[in-house]
Amino acid sequence: MVKLRARCILVGDAAVGKSSLSQMFRSDGTHFQKNYSMSAGVELSVKSVIIPETKDSVELYVLDCAGHETFVEACEKMWGQPSVVCLVFDITNEASFSGCSHWLERVRSHCHGLQIPGVLVGNKSDLSTRRKVEAAVAMEWAQSQGLEYHETSAKEMENCDAPFLSLAKAFHALYQDRLQIIQSLV
Amino acid sequence: MTHTALSSAQVVLASSGDENHPPENISDGNTETFWISTGMFPQEFIMRFPEEVTISALTMHSYNVKSCRIERSTSEEAEKFEAVEEKEFEHTDGHLQTNDISVPGISATHLRFVILSGYDHFVSIHKVSVQ
Ligand SMILES: Nc1nc2c(ncn2[C@@H]2O[C@H](COP(=O)(O)OP(=O)(O)O)[C@@H](O)[C@H]2O)c(=O)[nH]1
Ligand SMILES: [Mg+2]
Repeated sequence: MVKLRARCILVGDAAVGKSSLSQMFRSDGTHFQKNYSMSAGVELSVKSVIIPETKDSVELYVLDCAGHETFVEACEKMWGQPSVVCLVFDITNEASFSGCSHWLERVRSHCHGLQIPGVLVGNKSDLSTRRKVEAAVAMEWAQSQGLEYHETSAKEMENCDAPFLSLAKAFHALYQDRLQIIQSLV
Repeated sequence: MTHTALSSAQVVLASSGDENHPPENISDGNTETFWISTGMFPQEFIMRFPEEVTISALTMHSYNVKSCRIERSTSEEAEKFEAVEEKEFEHTDGHLQTNDISVPGISATHLRFVILSGYDHFVSIHKVSVQ
């Protein structure tokens, strides 16, 4: 049994649904959950994700940052060394999608060249009639950046766990890989 | 103080864990066995000596440790730690890091190693020996 811990940075423009997603993620009531209110603009929620078909789990420390510029700097101080990144945009808002590369750069500048697993989340899939960003376009960009793509609706509680499960799995796979490397050295 | 007291140090506590790679692997004298951190920094482990010892040097075999702070305690319980030394280790690729750390003849019942950062998400500690 392995218990991993990962610092998950939740980023994206204001109002894309980051806080709603992290609320959905922690409020399904099936897992151990904790909630902390931190300094202005930052919220931490902690939840353990079981990796399917193993006895292993990943405790995700999800840091939700308010997207407003004034908070971003305070928030970046909390990032520390991120383990995984969850990049969110609103499928009805083109600008929130084009802003993603800026967010990703910002996160990567904290990683000192370290590869970190990530997902791209197109939220508000319930508003498909107002869709401005095609899933295929988002998927293509995500792949070019080595991210997995998921669409969610925090409002309809659709698919909200998928991005977090995918991050936990990727972090678990990274651990297995690094463990193997270390074992090959000794 | 005896030589055995130095060499019979035990790692009694460590943050985070993989059952297959317990912290005892740090003090078993074997670099093939190791303790591995399981995500996020800082990480720490505590080494206990059977009696108060005087330490002049340490050798640490590790992988992907970037910076590490060493603290000591002279109390019976593992408490009231004070910083002794903070070190930045070089990155190694394809082989373990071996670092000798000299300290100015300190007495201790416990040593705490706080790993502040790593060159990767996970770091491993294979052996710590004390002279
Ligand atoms: N229709 C719809 N609205 C959403 C969804 N997720 C969030 N919202 C709404 O979008 C607004 C901003 O959400 P919030 O979570 O505060 O965004 P944040 O600034 O990124 O944290 C709120 O009014 C939410 O109710 C969704 O999946 N569908
Ligand atoms: Mg918010």
